[in-house]
Amino acid sequence: MSQNPAPVLRAHAEQQYAAELAALAACDDRPRPPQWKLSPWAVTTYLLGGEANGVPIVPKYIGQRRVIEIAVATLATDRALLLLGVPGTAKSWVSEHLAAAISGDSTLLVQGTAGTAEESLRYGWNYALLLAKGPSPEAIVPGPIMRAMREGRLARVEELTRIPSDVQDALITVLSEKTLPVPELGIEVQAVRGFNVIATANDRDKGVNDLSSALKRRFNTVVLPLPDSLDEEVEIVRMRVESLGRALEIPAQPPALEEVRRLVTVFRELRAGVTSDGKTKVKSPTGSLSTAEAISVINHGLTLAAHFGDGTLRAADLAGGLVGAVVKDPVQDRVVWQEYLETVVKERDGWKDLYRACRE
Amino acid sequence: MVHLLGIRHHGPGSARSVLAALAEIGPDLVLLEGPPEADELLPLAALPGMEPPVALLLYRPDVPQRGVFYPFAEFSPEWQALRWALAADVPVRFMDLPQRHQLVDAPAQAEENGEAPSADEDDVLERGEDPLDLVARAAGASDGEAWWEQTFERRHAGLEVFAAVQELMTAVRLELARPLSRREARREAWMRQTIREAQRGGAQRIAVVCGAWHVPALAQMPTAKSDAETLKGLPKAAVTAAWIPWTYDRLTAASGYGAGVHSPGYYGHLWDPAARGEVALRWMARIAQLLRAEDLESSTASVVEAVRLAEATSALRGQPVPGLAEFREAARAIFCFGGDAPMQLIRERLEVGAVLGRIPDEAPQVPLQRDLQREQKRLRLPPEALERTLELDLRKPNDLERSQLLHRLGLLGIGWGKVLHSRGKGTFRETWRLRWQPEFEIQLVEAAPLGHTVAEASAGAVLRAATEASALADLTGLVERVLLAELPAAVEPLLQRLASLAALTGEVTHLLAALPPLVQVLRYGNVRQTDSELLGPVVTGLVARSCVGLVPACAQLNDESAAEMRGHLDAAHAALVTLADDALLADWRAALQRLGDSAGLHGLLAGRCARLLLDDGTRSVEETSLRLSRELSRAAAPAQAAAWIEGFVSGGVLLLIHRDELWGMLDVWLSGLSAEHFTEILPLLRRTFGAFSAAERRQLGDRARRGSTSPAAALSASVENDVDLERARLVLPLLRTLLGPPVAADSP
Repeated sequence: MSQNPAPVLRAHAEQQYAAELAALAACDDRPRPPQWKLSPWAVTTYLLGGEANGVPIVPKYIGQRRVIEIAVATLATDRALLLLGVPGTAKSWVSEHLAAAISGDSTLLVQGTAGTAEESLRYGWNYALLLAKGPSPEAIVPGPIMRAMREGRLARVEELTRIPSDVQDALITVLSEKTLPVPELGIEVQAVRGFNVIATANDRDKGVNDLSSALKRRFNTVVLPLPDSLDEEVEIVRMRVESLGRALEIPAQPPALEEVRRLVTVFRELRAGVTSDGKTKVKSPTGSLSTAEAISVINHGLTLAAHFGDGTLRAADLAGGLVGAVVKDPVQDRVVWQEYLETVVKERDGWKDLYRACRE
Repeated sequence: MVHLLGIRHHGPGSARSVLAALAEIGPDLVLLEGPPEADELLPLAALPGMEPPVALLLYRPDVPQRGVFYPFAEFSPEWQALRWALAADVPVRFMDLPQRHQLVDAPAQAEENGEAPSADEDDVLERGEDPLDLVARAAGASDGEAWWEQTFERRHAGLEVFAAVQELMTAVRLELARPLSRREARREAWMRQTIREAQRGGAQRIAVVCGAWHVPALAQMPTAKSDAETLKGLPKAAVTAAWIPWTYDRLTAASGYGAGVHSPGYYGHLWDPAARGEVALRWMARIAQLLRAEDLESSTASVVEAVRLAEATSALRGQPVPGLAEFREAARAIFCFGGDAPMQLIRERLEVGAVLGRIPDEAPQVPLQRDLQREQKRLRLPPEALERTLELDLRKPNDLERSQLLHRLGLLGIGWGKVLHSRGKGTFRETWRLRWQPEFEIQLVEAAPLGHTVAEASAGAVLRAATEASALADLTGLVERVLLAELPAAVEPLLQRLASLAALTGEVTHLLAALPPLVQVLRYGNVRQTDSELLGPVVTGLVARSCVGLVPACAQLNDESAAEMRGHLDAAHAALVTLADDALLADWRAALQRLGDSAGLHGLLAGRCARLLLDDGTRSVEETSLRLSRELSRAAAPAQAAAWIEGFVSGGVLLLIHRDELWGMLDVWLSGLSAEHFTEILPLLRRTFGAFSAAERRQLGDRARRGSTSPAAALSASVENDVDLERARLVLPLLRTLLGPPVAADSP
């Protein structure tokens, strides 16, 4: 084995921001809830940005401060946290960073899909051991939640609403009794203090299973909003693209702010169904056109610019990704996009290059 | 010794501090920031029937629109100081610049926006940035109100708070160095003069309760002479004061009240002695109860969690106790599952609150209220909470006036009576359903700036509605109501507005739609003795414009628009025939003729024109049948012909039945159609003839049978002969049993 293992494609939050977390921990003298690595104040600073002992803390979440404060306060009161929102509003991102800052570990993760079985939420069995020795505590393969309960950490459930309803309800006992019974052995695993659950869910997408009200009651719900203003959204896209660019080692220059702004404007206008000056109505496409998609379009453009262009992000590099992001439904969305191009993009001063690039 | 108690209007914390300070000082005179004209109304505040929120209204009896409100809530520091003084039998007076000097010289601006400016609008906000915002920014907070709340309102203390307020405000005023407006300089000079006068009168310990902004100006007394100079030559006007019931809703800044607070319901909760010490718990419990009453989910367990979350959030934000922001967020996360709709409900019902104050009967009232009470007495129409029906005969003067009063109140948005239509009995009879609701008082108060009698106020309301209306149809309805309400003052401007809107509108359909109600008013105006002379020219104008625009408006219509236009044509035609104004009818008929002759007209409308003119006697049967044959000739497209027929025959078939020439033409056309043409227009014809009543259809059938030229007649005759008499006879005994004993014995 080599001394320097190949760098991972994407580092966990607690790895990527280890220096910030260490700096915060060093100067954090406020009371910490049991098993928390940082105090609630420090966690808020970690997410919203600031400075600790001279180490600048990069903001992880750009948006309303109250959203993060409520999320942290919820976790501090031992209530489970449900982050709700349309796709691309940084639900998973916030959940990962909360887990990283509070437990120092964001990996106790259950990814919700239509095929998620109850074993993933509870525990599985090592069947070889089970057959050889019969049911025993050793034969249990603990799921992320069971491990989090034993160790007093945060468990994350991503896309809770994609999990079939009957499986979702397995969480009820965990959340209300803070215990996970193993009826086969007649034992139970009781949660150590510090255990909690952060779930993310999407209530407006296709193919979701609504939460039962029994489960809903056990969560504090925080809705993550779409970015308030154009500037805020531009800032999010720029910051994320820069950090992703570093991770992916794209050699292009940092994105021209002007291009980011144009892209975000296009996304916002199509999403809102009206141009930013409020004068012209436009149709909205079927896709959600989230900030996350804007980030990926810019990234795609940067890669194109780096490998096929001169390294500077230009309209032509954006056009391909942009059309792909907007036109999700080949029939309806194409009409929407063509209309938007002809009525808005074409007329706007200084947007000629984008218009030509998109027409090609 | 003068104690200056600088407060924030409607701050419950300030109110507590004021009470504590008053107990400490033990003053022998209390001076409040407010209009001295209302001094004699102050003792009424101690009456048991007085329940805040209430407001002092000061207005000029000659121009009641010029008035100002001084609202008080239970938690207003001024109100608490007033109640304290009345209970302790300490003299209490107002000390602000009298409104008799203020309501004169604020000319255009108050009238422009048509609203009574609130009294303390510019106490703190003297045009420009809120000085508290500047202080808050210096202290590192974002918003002045929130900062004040945290710094002063939540602190429960006595006199020392006011010393701090004085110091702070002195610094702020010094720092801002903003020149005082003339009005403000006069107000503060008057306050100082009042204090001097009180001292001369022998008061030893004076407690002054006023907005924090004024404290520095009262602390540093310039010479009495310079103040007298400032106050020289003040203009004067007669001013009346009255207590009126107020609502929490109108205490909010959002209602346009300058010194308003954001959440009066919440402040009321903070003030509530029952909530003392457990503000969070009781607030969350109230939210839970509210949601439960609306059938939304909210459990006691949620209350517990919400209180914990609010407390944790406030700790995270470094605040000793949670405030409204924390409560809101906790409620959103726990009760509302992140949603907005229930939050809206909480905002309306709890944070603002639906509290209506009450005034004791002894208290003087707003002129509009008084006028209504006078009218009610005069017309013997007392308000009653129970619903009852009232029959009015409009030929009797008293009944007519009752009807007018009810219509006027309706124009003010006061739905005391609702008309139940009794059209069958003619227009001199009106049936009302009456029910008085206490909310009407507040609507009266709201309407108070519009005028001091019911007639004036309702005319004002009409004028406002007329200026705001953008569609002709809104106005025509209004004209009818105004004439019913007998508001001559409003009629002329309203009709002018109507005429100008009619001139501007390019929509002939709107013009036509406006006609029938106006004509109805014009026609039956006499019964109500309304002055309908003014209406005549407007109707003439409408008709003239419609006639001019009719042909272009009907060109190139699709089926749907043609059907809509036909409805308008019918209604307008009927209205004009009712009106029986020969000149107008002649114009109208000429327009219809032009329309019928215009090329490319939809068949439906062409047919309708022909029918209207025929019924009217303008066009002879011969000429009409000529047109019919032309429309139904082979060259015409069958679909167009069928639409023509629909327009022509709909609404009455007798014409076809009794006019052989028309019938014959139709018959020839129908039987001459090719098979595919027939199939094509069959649905259209079926629609036309299907709309007739069964009796009409039977008559049509009979007529078709009689038609000698028709081959169908021969067929039906052969069917008749085919009856098997032997078999028919078999049912006769049973029929006889069913029908009873035989009347006619001539059985076959």
